[in-house]
Amino acid sequence: MIYIIDDDKMMADCIVREVAAVYDDEVRVFTNGVEAISALDNGVPELIFLDILLDGPDGFTFLNEISSYSDTEQIPVVVVSSLNLADAELSDYGVVKVLDKSMMVPADIKKCVEKYIDERRS
Amino acid sequence: MESEVNGILVAAHELKAPLSLLRQLAFSMDLASDQKDLKRIQNQMVGVSDRALRQVQDLTKIARLDDGLFEMEPVSVRAVCDEVTEELRYLFRFNHRNLDIDYRNRARLVVANRELLYSVVYNFCLNAMNYSSEETRSELTLQDKNGCVRLDVRDFGPALPMDVWKSLKKGWIEKPTSIAMRPGSSGLGLYIASKFSQYMNANVGAVRHRDGTSFFVELPVSKQASLF
Repeated sequence: MIYIIDDDKMMADCIVREVAAVYDDEVRVFTNGVEAISALDNGVPELIFLDILLDGPDGFTFLNEISSYSDTEQIPVVVVSSLNLADAELSDYGVVKVLDKSMMVPADIKKCVEKYIDERRS
Repeated sequence: MESEVNGILVAAHELKAPLSLLRQLAFSMDLASDQKDLKRIQNQMVGVSDRALRQVQDLTKIARLDDGLFEMEPVSVRAVCDEVTEELRYLFRFNHRNLDIDYRNRARLVVANRELLYSVVYNFCLNAMNYSSEETRSELTLQDKNGCVRLDVRDFGPALPMDVWKSLKKGWIEKPTSIAMRPGSSGLGLYIASKFSQYMNANVGAVRHRDGTSFFVELPVSKQASLF
């Protein structure tokens, strides 16, 4: 299972299409971090695509939350944002990659799915 | 100069989001599952472009306000609200939001500029949609008040920051904020609405609720209203 957390439904739909092209399992979309946190009780995803500016608590709050639990701290998180963020700045939160919304291409999403799902499963 | 640069930065940031989305939607066309899906993506691209273009047009109008080129005339406020809500209906439905409309006003015509009033209502409604949670409603209300028609657009989202509320209490927002006033927004739409309201001599403001915010504008009733 992969989570996509983005308050822009159209952007989330685009990422879903790109993920679905290379991933056969369930993809769940959340428009805010609170619902995504609640959903973790019913199953932990293999990978999370996370926007930072969200309705309600922002992406950093979500990252703090998941990095504090033993069953979620190892989930790879790919931040997808228009903010200028560097991978290194967020590595302490379990962020494995930062994608710039204004520059990313479908191949970036594909690469992330293949790389981080493979790593997690191996 | 500093505030001018700040304004440009805010506008640039605000337009970055629709441009990024358009780019992703364009890539998505290759991944569309069927013709229906492709058509849906095309419609979304048109909608996103329209909203971005409207914002650009509004910004250019702000630059022309000082020239006084926008004529004030009797305008049917209900007709403007109907047009705006029709335009935004798809977007509300797509995002699983509802917009309840309640027209209680007896006076139909107000003194305003039609284009500017359209933008005010449009920005208020878009703002309400952006800051309401999924499956919740926003409310658009028209009512008579002391020789004016008052238009309220209420959302059930996060509380309005105190500084923006105080700024609106003075009657207008001096500048859009470079740091998001509510998540994901620079407040550019509200800035546009407040500038246009100020031009139309309309009273603009906000009411903070514990569970959201109402933005309102009070427009003077046209004397021609008595003819109807």
